Amino acid sequence: MTDTTRTAAASRRSLPNGVWGIALFIATEATLFGSLIASYFYLRFKHAGWPLGGIEPPKPALPLAITGALVLAIVPMFLASAAARRGSVGATARFVIAALVVQAGYLVVQIVLFADDLSKFKPTTNAYGSVYFTLLGVDHFHVLIGILLSLWLLSRLATGLTNYRVVATRVISWYWYFASTVAVAVTLTQLSSSL
Amino acid sequence: MATVASPEAARRVQRLERVWRERPGLLGWLTTCDHKRIGILYLFTSLAFFAAGGVEALLVRTQLIRPDNGLLGPEKFDQMMTTHGVTMIFLFVIPISIGAFGNYLVPLMIGSRDMAFPRMNALSYWLFLASGIFIYTGLFLGHGPNAGWFDYVPLGSKQYDPGPNVDFYALGLIFNGVSSTAAAINFIVTIFKLRAPGMSLNRMPLFCYAFLAVSFALIFALPPLNVALGFLELDRRLGFHFFDVAHGGDALMWQHLFWIFGHPEVYIIILPAFGIATSIIPTFTRRKMVAFPLVALAEILVAFIGFGVWVHHMFATGLSSITLVYFAAASLIIVVPSGIQLFAWITTLNTGRPEFKTPLLFICGFIIFFLLGGLSGVMFAAIPFDQQLTDTYFVVAHFHFVIFGAAVFPILGGLYYWFPKVTGRMYHERTGQLSFWLAFTGTALTFFPMHIVGLLGMPRRVYTYPGGMGWSDYNLLESIGAYVLASGLFLIVANLLVSAFRGVRVGPDPWGGATLEWATSSPPPDYNFPVIPKVTSAYAMWDREDREEDARKLTRGDLVLERGHETPASTVLDADWDEILEMPSDSPWPITLAAAAAGVFAFLLLGHWLVAGVFGGLCLAVLAAWHRQEPQLA
Repeated sequence: MTDTTRTAAASRRSLPNGVWGIALFIATEATLFGSLIASYFYLRFKHAGWPLGGIEPPKPALPLAITGALVLAIVPMFLASAAARRGSVGATARFVIAALVVQAGYLVVQIVLFADDLSKFKPTTNAYGSVYFTLLGVDHFHVLIGILLSLWLLSRLATGLTNYRVVATRVISWYWYFASTVAVAVTLTQLSSSL
Repeated sequence: MATVASPEAARRVQRLERVWRERPGLLGWLTTCDHKRIGILYLFTSLAFFAAGGVEALLVRTQLIRPDNGLLGPEKFDQMMTTHGVTMIFLFVIPISIGAFGNYLVPLMIGSRDMAFPRMNALSYWLFLASGIFIYTGLFLGHGPNAGWFDYVPLGSKQYDPGPNVDFYALGLIFNGVSSTAAAINFIVTIFKLRAPGMSLNRMPLFCYAFLAVSFALIFALPPLNVALGFLELDRRLGFHFFDVAHGGDALMWQHLFWIFGHPEVYIIILPAFGIATSIIPTFTRRKMVAFPLVALAEILVAFIGFGVWVHHMFATGLSSITLVYFAAASLIIVVPSGIQLFAWITTLNTGRPEFKTPLLFICGFIIFFLLGGLSGVMFAAIPFDQQLTDTYFVVAHFHFVIFGAAVFPILGGLYYWFPKVTGRMYHERTGQLSFWLAFTGTALTFFPMHIVGLLGMPRRVYTYPGGMGWSDYNLLESIGAYVLASGLFLIVANLLVSAFRGVRVGPDPWGGATLEWATSSPPPDYNFPVIPKVTSAYAMWDREDREEDARKLTRGDLVLERGHETPASTVLDADWDEILEMPSDSPWPITLAAAAAGVFAFLLLGHWLVAGVFGGLCLAVLAAWHRQEPQLA
């Protein structure tokens, strides 16, 4: 990182534009998930029995455990962001990779669980199936996007750190803070019928 | 810039011109990231959609000109009526107010050289254009949206609307929503971060407050709509059961999700109009707005409370009384901030020295229609009244007074007001006034009798009606009114088109305006301002000493930033100097990304999921290419 960029980052008093951008993006995405979760409970409270049609409630242990792991991956992303601001490209990349291992593992297990659920009931079975798979699908898609963002970031970090990439690391960390927290809300909604 | 005092200043301006010069020709327009050019693109595109929506309205009104008319059959009528609504809301009012007025004016008013994310700004425009073409492709193929702009299920579900009409609607609006979301984020960051040093939030023009409120409303209003549209498409295309009562779904859930978006949307439509009014009134009354902080707060409060009133669109759906009463109360509360603004406008007019030029005439028309439409709106907050008149022409009368009379009139006034800024020429005043009176009379004639036929029981959204119901004369009047209104609008376009070539040339500030867009030449140069202006009040142009100081700053080279494609960023609340940002210039990626996204939506519509996925991958590749170019300073 050159001296000028270091000074720019150090003397800046408010959040950079990129971070404002992602904060607002998170606001709109959070509203999207809010609407999805509200729809889940709206449908749920229209019926005396839930899940509908004798579908077995999901087993909570594994989804809770992996969601916990996903939330813990926030820590290395936070450290990556801090390392980038210190100007340490190696540490930044290592923390991003550490988080990425957990995040990718989370997604793989979730996909297996998703496929397993699909073998028991379908989104076309009834409204429970529709909202269940849609909610989870949208959530997993967000984790996938996060993984792509992290991979992109690593490809940029391979050629060093610039002010732009420092902001990018911060922005992608914020995305992960959001994607991990919203996964908790989604998982708790998903498991609400068995908790 | 009009006056360049010294040779040093002239050299600096020359350098700015070199650095900021836009690429000429068609390629320049396709790759531009300049907020003024994007604003102009938005303007012409949204006006084209306005014309299309206007033709649809005229067809609808011609069909209804007499009982048992056979001009349009029920099928065509449904498509015309629905596409008219969708066009006017999503392809005209929002793009012209936010896209055209906002893009062109917000950076100028806050003393910036561009939007915070110029390339994303270009992307918003190209996505908007593509979504408009997408929806209209449906109409031209004979499959235009046909279940009303609010597309209630089960009418809009596969069973009752088996063609692709509703798919054009649902996918088209999701597509359009991406564009609006990107634009909203861009405006908020621009307003928060790119204000000229010194323009603390309390010195920001009320126009920008309105756009800030609208942008926040968009960010929170669009997701419920997108969820609803996503559910609808999953139901229609893949056999999901969100709205299918037989399989545990719920039809009313659509209405909730739609109106959680739909009511804030009404304020999204009208708030920019408030912003335009608060720009025009001070200029033509030669005084500052009365109750500036209250009006600023009211603009934000309207957007906020607008999220808590959606059930008043559903008073007749059989919800519990306690729910209805809560939403009736909330609907009454929103009258308070609206009233504050209304009184502030009237008091400013009353205590100033109003000069009734065309822009101010349109604002007066706006105030009258907003009052009438607002009053009939308050009537709907009374639950029994609403239940009696729901789905009648009274509702059509109410919301057209509000979203045509109140939201579009300031847009028309704004076209006249900022015309000299954009073109450097003056429109023809007499013709302008005539166009106002035609539009005003036409609007009153078209929409006022609808109150009466509504009270007489004429249902809305019917393609024809029998004679002998006592509705025929009123309908005839309304249809004549529609043509009078159209002639007024036509006159506006003709006036502006002719004046763009023949109008008298004007200087930077023909009106003695209050805000910073008048500080720079007409039309503004590519770099907006030769020197980032000094700001010490919300009426920056009326602070003569500050403007003289700008000229001295240019000679000193203070805040000229002529070494690169740069603009300053400041802190959010106090607008203290923070850093210099290097802004991207033209880029081929926004239009490419929009084209790839159009591919995704087209193949989703056709049901080729795999090809749609390939286009999705293409979008990611374009994004990666887009982000290879980093600012030089970094």
